[in-house]
Amino acid sequence: MPLITRLFIKSGLIFFLIALLIGVSSQAEVLNFDGITPLFWHALMVGWITQIIMGVSMWMFPGRVKEESFQNQKWGWLTFGFLNVGLGLRLIAEPFVNTSDTELWNILLVISALFQFIAVAAYVIEIWPRVMSKRQRRKKRKDGV
Amino acid sequence: MPLISRLMIKLSLLYLLTGISLGALMLINKAWLISPLLWFVLPIHIEFLIFGWIIQFTLGVAYWILPRFLETKGRGNKILAWFMVVFLNGGILLAAFSGYGLGRSFTLTGRIFEVLAVALFISLHWKRVVTYNRG
Repeated sequence: MPLITRLFIKSGLIFFLIALLIGVSSQAEVLNFDGITPLFWHALMVGWITQIIMGVSMWMFPGRVKEESFQNQKWGWLTFGFLNVGLGLRLIAEPFVNTSDTELWNILLVISALFQFIAVAAYVIEIWPRVMSKRQRRKKRKDGV
Repeated sequence: MPLISRLMIKLSLLYLLTGISLGALMLINKAWLISPLLWFVLPIHIEFLIFGWIIQFTLGVAYWILPRFLETKGRGNKILAWFMVVFLNGGILLAAFSGYGLGRSFTLTGRIFEVLAVALFISLHWKRVVTYNRG
C-alpha cells in the first residue's frame, strides 16, 4: 500500500474519532455550542468516509505509477494536504464564527472552503483519467504512458 | 473496469465537484454573507454528496470489483444494471430539485427510484458475494 494511501486512511481514522467525540460533546450541555451539528457531519463524511474513498481509490484504480514520488503523485498529495488542512481549519474556526467579532475566524473559514474545493478538484484531476476499461489500460501500457 | 462502473464513477465525481462547490459557497457565505438565498441549495448539497458521490461511487466500484460469475465470466443482467444507474440518477435529481416548487410527489418519486436502484443493486450482487475457495 503506497504511503499516500496509508496517510489518507490513518488521517481518516483520526477524523472518525474526532467526529464521534464531537457527537459526544453535542450531547453534553457544557460542551455543546451553536453549529456543532454540521461539524459532526463534515468530520464524518469528509474527514472519514470521503478520505477513505480517496485514499483507497488512488491505490486500487488502474493506471497507478508504482514509483512513489511527489512528482508522480502530485495531485494525490495536493488532495491530501488541502483536504486535511481545509477540514482542520473548519473545525477550528467555525465554532468562533458565530460567537466572536474577530475577523480572523471568518478568514480562516473562507480559506477552509477554498482548500476543500481545491482538494476535490485535485482528486478529480488525479482519478478521472484512471477510470478506464481493460482495453484502455492495455493500450496505455502498450503506448508506454 | 466495465462501462457501467466507469459511468457511475464518473457521474459520482461530477456530483462530488458540484456538491463541494455548493458547500464551499455556503461556507464562505457563513463567513462573509454573499446572499441569504444561498442556503436554499443545502438540499442539493446533501443529496449530491451522499447519494450522488458516496453511494454512487461505492456501488460503481462494487459492480466492478466483486467476483464475477464463474461460468459466464459476467456480472449478471446488463439491462437491469442500466436500470439501476438510471433509477439512481433519476432519483437523485428528483429528490435534489423537488424542493424548488416541484412538489412532494417528486420527492416521493425520487426516493422510490433510489429504493428501486438499491433493490436492483442487491439483486445483481447478492450471488456475487461468494468465495471460490474450496478449502
